[in-house]
Amino acid sequence: MPVEVRDLSHVYNEDSPFSAAALKGVSLTIADGEFLAVIGHTGSGKSTLIQHLNGLIRPTGGTVVVDGMDIADKGTNLRKVRRRVGLVFQYPEYQLFEETVHKDIAFGPKNLGLDNDEIERRVEEACRLVGLPYEAVRDKSPFELSGGQKRRVAIAGVLAMEPKVLILDEPTAGLDPAGRDSILERVQEWHRAGTTIVMVSHSMEDVARLADRIVVLDHGEKALEGAPREVFADAERLTKMGLDVPAVTRLARELNDAGLPVPRDLYTIEEMEAALLAAFGKGEGGC
Amino acid sequence: MLKDITLGQYYPGDSVVHRLDPRVKMILMIVYIVMVFLVQGFLGYVCLAAFLAAATLLSHIRVKFLLRSIRPVLFIVVFTFLLNILFTRGEHPIVEWGILRIYWEGVRFAVFMSLRLVFLLAGTSLLTLTTSPMALTDALERLLKPLNAVHFPVHEMAMMMTIALRFIPTLLEETDKIMKAQTARGADFDTGNLLQRAKAMVPLLVPLFVGAFRRADELAMAMEARCYHGGRHRTRMKVLHVGRADGWACCVTAATLVLIALERALL
Repeated sequence: MPVEVRDLSHVYNEDSPFSAAALKGVSLTIADGEFLAVIGHTGSGKSTLIQHLNGLIRPTGGTVVVDGMDIADKGTNLRKVRRRVGLVFQYPEYQLFEETVHKDIAFGPKNLGLDNDEIERRVEEACRLVGLPYEAVRDKSPFELSGGQKRRVAIAGVLAMEPKVLILDEPTAGLDPAGRDSILERVQEWHRAGTTIVMVSHSMEDVARLADRIVVLDHGEKALEGAPREVFADAERLTKMGLDVPAVTRLARELNDAGLPVPRDLYTIEEMEAALLAAFGKGEGGC
Repeated sequence: MLKDITLGQYYPGDSVVHRLDPRVKMILMIVYIVMVFLVQGFLGYVCLAAFLAAATLLSHIRVKFLLRSIRPVLFIVVFTFLLNILFTRGEHPIVEWGILRIYWEGVRFAVFMSLRLVFLLAGTSLLTLTTSPMALTDALERLLKPLNAVHFPVHEMAMMMTIALRFIPTLLEETDKIMKAQTARGADFDTGNLLQRAKAMVPLLVPLFVGAFRRADELAMAMEARCYHGGRHRTRMKVLHVGRADGWACCVTAATLVLIALERALL
């Protein structure tokens, strides 16, 4: 069930003095089971793009087709689209509202009209997926949890809808390193289990490590698209767009410029390790 | 989803009208309102129309935007027109149809009454279109300053207004975001009966209130961290100046007022 974005444009406040074009003719296909990262400078249209993917906003030009359902078509049942495409907003913990964690996570499944047994199963499963101790937290108020736990509850609320495609907008923003790593680990697990993931991120390191493919947006247009290695090879262009390459890539380029036999297009720590060992290691062991 | 709600309709610009001192604009607005209620004859309306037209022209605001601000109250204008035309008694009936009797005086009165409303709305809109809400509160604080003598907390009031105005767009944005987040979880804000809709608001209102309190707390903390302490001895970053354009605006307004008052006195 691929998601197809065709020539998508969006203008906010059309025909008013404050009109602003957020997306200008973006086309893109998201394949099943893929891990796609969307990067771009603030205001490049990332948020606008992902909100189209489950029909939260309607395009002013072009369309998005999810599983054969055209979100630009007025007759399309958008709730069906939202069942398939789950969206976790930035700082999702600010949308918690129920008295207990259980009720909050059950909000989505309840809206789907599921029966109580199924809701119960999904809430428990969602808790397990985000790594929350279900029995311990189910009757707690979500407002008395820690920041990281609140975020897990909020993400569980979307996972409980059991979407085929999960969109995450900066899921690690504002978390401490431990919290960040554990969320990203989970995301990787869901991806392995078959969920299509679309992640918006500012961290080039995370994107390099996790994504199969990267789409770079710049001023509402698709500037670059490809595997991490291809995208990060164009460091000059990324810098011009106010973006960066992973620190490892930067180091590799500098070492290469200094005449060392290290390839310029490394983008993970593991690759760097292998390259350095190949260049200097020669089995001498320890340094 | 929230694009229908417009609060504060400031239209940024750099015209003479935009640059007038907000205090002067506010006082002139009061004079203008007095004129609208003073005006009685045909000539007076011509003066008033010319005054409004000149101000609009100078402000570079498109007439479309002025008219847009009248649209929400169009119903009241039409209603006033009908009431006056049907129920004003006079000496020269022009239409007699059963119990309906329309007099010449009624037509005249109805037209003038509706015009009066339109002028009132267009004029006040021109003020809010050309003056940012911040400038307005600033002006209000200055104009109400004498009330300090009777221990009315003018500065605190103005500060509260400023903060409220500042956070309206933020809260709207937040509302939009939470609405979208809950919609993504299958919430439905648009259908159902009254009770269902009221219930559907809970997932929106709870996070909104929690967020507003959090923000208020953070703001209070940030203000205290910068040693904010109420009204006395505070200086301003932007000091208001009354300039030459303000003088001209006052003269023109005064002249119009005299004309209108003269017509009223002579008729």
